[in-house]
Amino acid sequence: MTSTTEPHSQHGLRPGDPPPRRRGIFMRPGYLRASWVTPLFFLIGMYIVVALRALAGWDPVYDWEYIVLIAGMVTAPIGFLLGMGVFDYWLYWISGRPTVADDHASHGAYSWKDYFKVNTDHKVIGIQYLVTTFFFFVAGGFLAMLFRAELAEPGMQFFDTQTFNGLVSAHATLMIFVFIIPAFAGLANFAVPLMLGAPDMAFPRLNALSFWMLPVAGALFLASFLAPGGAFATGWTSYAPLASEQPFGQVFFNMGVQWAGASSIATALNFLVTIITMRAPGMTFWRMPLLVWANFTTSLLVVIATPFIAGSQFFVMFDRVMHTSFFTPDNGGYVLGYQHIFWFYSHPAVYIMVLPGFGIISEVISVFSRKPIFGYRLMAVSLIGILVLAFSVWAHHMFVAGMADWLRIPMMISTLLIAVPTGIKVFSWLATLWEGKLHLSTPMLFALGFISTFVIGGLSGVYVASVPIDIHASDTYFVVAHIHYVLFGGSVFTIFAGLYYWFPKMTGRMFDERLGKLHFWLTFVTFNLTFFPMHWLGLDGMPRRVADYAGTYGALNMVVSIGSFVLGASVVIFAYNIVVSWARGPVAESNPWKAMTIEWQVSSPPPVFNFDEIPQVVGGPYEYGVPGARHAVLRGGALQEAHA
Amino acid sequence: MSDIPISGGPHLAGSHPQEAIPHGPPPANRSSRLDAATLGMFLFIASEAMLFGAFFTAYFFVRVVNPTATETWPPAPFEFPVFVAGVNTAILVTSSFTIHWATQAIKRNDRNGLRAGLVVTILLGSAFLLTQAIEYAHVGFNTGDGAFASVFFGLTGLHGAHVFVGLSLLTIAAVRAFRGHFSAEHHHGVEIPGIYWHFVDVMWIIVFFAVYVL
Repeated sequence: MTSTTEPHSQHGLRPGDPPPRRRGIFMRPGYLRASWVTPLFFLIGMYIVVALRALAGWDPVYDWEYIVLIAGMVTAPIGFLLGMGVFDYWLYWISGRPTVADDHASHGAYSWKDYFKVNTDHKVIGIQYLVTTFFFFVAGGFLAMLFRAELAEPGMQFFDTQTFNGLVSAHATLMIFVFIIPAFAGLANFAVPLMLGAPDMAFPRLNALSFWMLPVAGALFLASFLAPGGAFATGWTSYAPLASEQPFGQVFFNMGVQWAGASSIATALNFLVTIITMRAPGMTFWRMPLLVWANFTTSLLVVIATPFIAGSQFFVMFDRVMHTSFFTPDNGGYVLGYQHIFWFYSHPAVYIMVLPGFGIISEVISVFSRKPIFGYRLMAVSLIGILVLAFSVWAHHMFVAGMADWLRIPMMISTLLIAVPTGIKVFSWLATLWEGKLHLSTPMLFALGFISTFVIGGLSGVYVASVPIDIHASDTYFVVAHIHYVLFGGSVFTIFAGLYYWFPKMTGRMFDERLGKLHFWLTFVTFNLTFFPMHWLGLDGMPRRVADYAGTYGALNMVVSIGSFVLGASVVIFAYNIVVSWARGPVAESNPWKAMTIEWQVSSPPPVFNFDEIPQVVGGPYEYGVPGARHAVLRGGALQEAHA
Repeated sequence: MSDIPISGGPHLAGSHPQEAIPHGPPPANRSSRLDAATLGMFLFIASEAMLFGAFFTAYFFVRVVNPTATETWPPAPFEFPVFVAGVNTAILVTSSFTIHWATQAIKRNDRNGLRAGLVVTILLGSAFLLTQAIEYAHVGFNTGDGAFASVFFGLTGLHGAHVFVGLSLLTIAAVRAFRGHFSAEHHHGVEIPGIYWHFVDVMWIIVFFAVYVL
């Protein structure tokens, strides 16, 4: 981390030093090295466990649960990262051997193969994030279609109940921890340094490490299906003490969350330092694009809240593997403690999953309405309002859990208060659209779709925030409908909007607009077909997370299942459009949307180091239609004035 | 690892058009007086403090909120070795002064002072960990003996893990110090682990009072 601040002369490669020798193919960073370092580290972890058990005289010495936990989920992933070369630079630095502080050999991508290697370029890392998370999105969606097949009709068709619970749990876990949260990190990774006029993130190597921890987390979640007893089956909330008594697959969840959380914290820290210390001259906080503001607040949430889920999962795992009793009531533990600690992260986490989306929508709405964003400062302040309130609402998830009665009303009020800053944002978007010159291209369609679905999700959120309604709706499909309107209609729509919006900048190619629109309409219609009936099902009393249900719910569930299959199929259109356009799409100009923010003022894709010279920021980012207004001036070529 | 004295470069030299990289990046504009690495460490510490916060929350639930919480802490007949932990506290507090001595020394370009300060700090930190390990072995209860034991091992174990991380950072600094790195102008590699070490020390004082004294 500190490497960039050290001068080369002290320990860099000096002139006259012998040229570095070339390493053999099994010693160079990459998959070949990972292929032997990973098993080596597995063995190291395994024999640490075996040695400790032998020393303590415990029987059996080869206890596979502990070996898989320590060797498979801790040391082998470290070996994989080491083999890939994530730690190479640091290992030289910490051992005091010569390094070149600004060595850029692993910077930038020159062929598609470079995307599969450790890279320190924030643009490459952003794309690595997006492609990886898309893979987990498809995997998670596939699991959803499997259990929707089971739920299409009453009765048990395909799976037993434990498998069904495993599918539901893995679906939610993949979508939340290795799709939505890191997909936003990927988009921000690409866009934020460019928008700030910075050459890269503050800590490029830490950035690479953050990304490479993500596949480890996803692999652990997926590998849990191979565990004896099946995948973790206690939902993504993994409530104790149930979770400490489940088959071994549960531990994959506990540890996967640690890897995803570490990745998330490292990225957030990186964003914060980048935004605070690397803004271009003239880029005051009140001239930052709202995407940057959104990621600033999100990163604060991540850094402060994520350690709590790490703690909660450690406790559950300790209760299981070390026989502690944090949450076991008969031994002095406090069962509800789990839910308090878990939700103290996981409620802020829903803002971690939607604030970056708010930022994307603010960009898109302003650009495609050709109008300044309405109430720019209030938009930023409302983000901070949500950030602060987010920490005061966690127990609204526990109205029926038997927590202290006096906590209910304060939690209800603070939850309802969050509707105020959120409402400010929605009305500001609407006011931006008002009398704007709307361009209904694909990113804009997704932004408009987002507003309509998110308002429904927000309103049902106000419903379940009220204690009496929550007591009725708790653990029913009403809650499932609510969370999908917020996380799919909210987060996923914004991710699609952002992907289409920055696709030309990332790839230098244009996507097929007709396929994009087809994708939007298919997604929008089938999304509502899938999730809207769940409101009725829930109010009628259909419980969630149950593999079978009463026959009266049959017809609506068939509609939901059919909707979900078409929704799944619509992703194929998206994937086809992206892959074909990336390979053979028409070449994109540098600023196809005529946007003012800095990332659009450089070529598409941007040069390896973003700018020849740091831009000078001279005005606000959204002055569309204001004669003579400029956001930033770049050397040579300068800024194209944005025309209304 | 191999013995090649430069990282990153050689393995890509063949496959990459090196001439396609015209120059390094332009230096980023510094929009804050805060140093990036120091700010990063402070944010990391904020995150770490919240992790301790989660463990203290568990402590609070077990000892205060839980309706079945026992009158005495720890519940009879168990006892925490307060004296040993007190000695350990003294050891760790002393080490905060020695690391401060080390960083002050390098600011005066006194490399011997830096090395001595680092070595003494590492020895004190190791003594703390060793004492803790012996304390665990003789404490008279195990992780399975109730929620008080869960909290005891959770908080002191989490802290012990942080001492280990801090010691690793200091060892790295020491290796580099003995190789002749660091000067009055460039001593981030000592100062930043030093900040972390102070954090670990302060955290221990809170853990000590919460678990042993109160």
